[in-house]
Amino acid sequence: MSDKVMRHPLSVRLIHWSVALSGLVLIFSGFGNMPMYQRYNVVKLPGLFWAGNYEIQLVIHYIAAVVFGAAVLFHIVFHLRRREFAAWPKRGDLAESWHIVKAMIRKEEEPPHGKFLAEQRLAYLAFVVTSAILLVTGLVKVYKNTGVVILDPTFLMIVTSVHTGATMIFLFLVVAHLGAFVVKANRPLLPSMFTGRVDREYAERRHPRWKV
Amino acid sequence: MKISRRSFLAGMAAAGAATVVPKGSAAWAASNAGTLGTLIDLTLCDGCPDRQTPACVSACRSKNAGRFPEPDPKMLKDYWPQPFHEDWSGRREVTSRLTPYNWTFVQKVTVEHEGEARSVAIPRRCMHCDNPPCVKLCPFGTLKQDKSGATWIDPAACFGGAKCRTVCPWNVPQRQAGVGIYTWLDPLPVGGGVMFKCDLCRDSLAEGEAPACMSACPKKAMTIGPRQQIFAAARKKAEEIGGYLYGLDEHGGTSTVYISPVPFEALDEAIVQAADDPSRAMRLHDPQNMVEKHSNLAKAALIAPVAGIVGAFAATVARKEKGDE
Repeated sequence: MSDKVMRHPLSVRLIHWSVALSGLVLIFSGFGNMPMYQRYNVVKLPGLFWAGNYEIQLVIHYIAAVVFGAAVLFHIVFHLRRREFAAWPKRGDLAESWHIVKAMIRKEEEPPHGKFLAEQRLAYLAFVVTSAILLVTGLVKVYKNTGVVILDPTFLMIVTSVHTGATMIFLFLVVAHLGAFVVKANRPLLPSMFTGRVDREYAERRHPRWKV
Repeated sequence: MKISRRSFLAGMAAAGAATVVPKGSAAWAASNAGTLGTLIDLTLCDGCPDRQTPACVSACRSKNAGRFPEPDPKMLKDYWPQPFHEDWSGRREVTSRLTPYNWTFVQKVTVEHEGEARSVAIPRRCMHCDNPPCVKLCPFGTLKQDKSGATWIDPAACFGGAKCRTVCPWNVPQRQAGVGIYTWLDPLPVGGGVMFKCDLCRDSLAEGEAPACMSACPKKAMTIGPRQQIFAAARKKAEEIGGYLYGLDEHGGTSTVYISPVPFEALDEAIVQAADDPSRAMRLHDPQNMVEKHSNLAKAALIAPVAGIVGAFAATVARKEKGDE
């Protein structure tokens, strides 16, 4: 028996990295579409002289949006059709998350986990909701740029504000997602996003409810 | 000047019918983008040589005086970390260019055409583009476009980042520091004031009245009406006098059309030559519309989620079939 177990097959890893990289590019180019990089001298940083050019940032934002939109919808439909809901929140996840946090702080034993921790399932839901808001509002913003399209100005202003607000939440979630690896107990999960596998010993010890 | 009630209502009715179908060509834009069109006839405009300030400029300034910015002196400070801020409050009298206190001006140039020196006066203001990058790309949704085609800035929501001016090929919106919602966030170093520009007197349009500049023109050099009618009249006159048109197709189409007895290339060259800073001159060139240029990428982004769904079905069906074999 192998001492590694498969946690994330290639298709999952490809989608994860497509969303992650396009998401980061979208955040950077999104801020680049605001009057920020020239004013705050980002353009003076090595290699970023172009960052204050709105046209370049617009093109980058569009291209990253193509990847992000396709990857998010692929992910949702792919797992719906395969009836894979391990990452979806379950009843009692909020309370269980609180127990996990307490156990980590007090260095007590955590409750037994399935494939995902309760807090991972909640973080996943937060990502799904935020990404959906970004996608829907982004599509409206993109639609008006496809030609001579005049949308209701107030509606457009609300859509724009929600898009910007959701970006801030998305950025917070990315930081929190990466911050999870500050916690030592989570670090054995890190290799699976590259190789797809985690140590069998780790999986059996921390995720006994995961049928590997 | 009253717009004929019937023709104005016809224009507004067409606004309701104007749909949000992506544009295929400049001609499409000219016929569908907005319902109103304006004509500026340079064969009639003489720049009001007998007045200190052209009548259209004076009328615009007095009509909009109540909307001009009154900055808080404490907020007239540099846009940290940049060593400058834009304050026109001490130069309100300037009428030779666009400023937050002057939303239209008249360029006067002399060009040689067919062996003859011709003096041409050119009233300038926002072109009210059909596919305006200022409106489409404002990161706060503060610039707006009415179905009539008029574009305008909401001063209550503008942060004064001046992106609209950067993406406008004519540098139309002008910034005034010390006013607007950014002042509430002081001392945070964000925002820069409020942008100001011509809104085609949209309040007057709503009352069936023509914009102030047009009503005041002693030569009747500017007219407004249903777009089709105005553009048809412009084309007809250009044909009759062997004149030149500007604004119908430029920048993907605008709701403003100029008619001139001399080519616009010659006028543009004269404007650039006369400018202290040619990069900031309000030209009569043929700029490319940034939003239109990349509209295919926008369409790709729009259909990408559908591609993702199709891909997911293809992947799951392929796997199922593989499993069945």
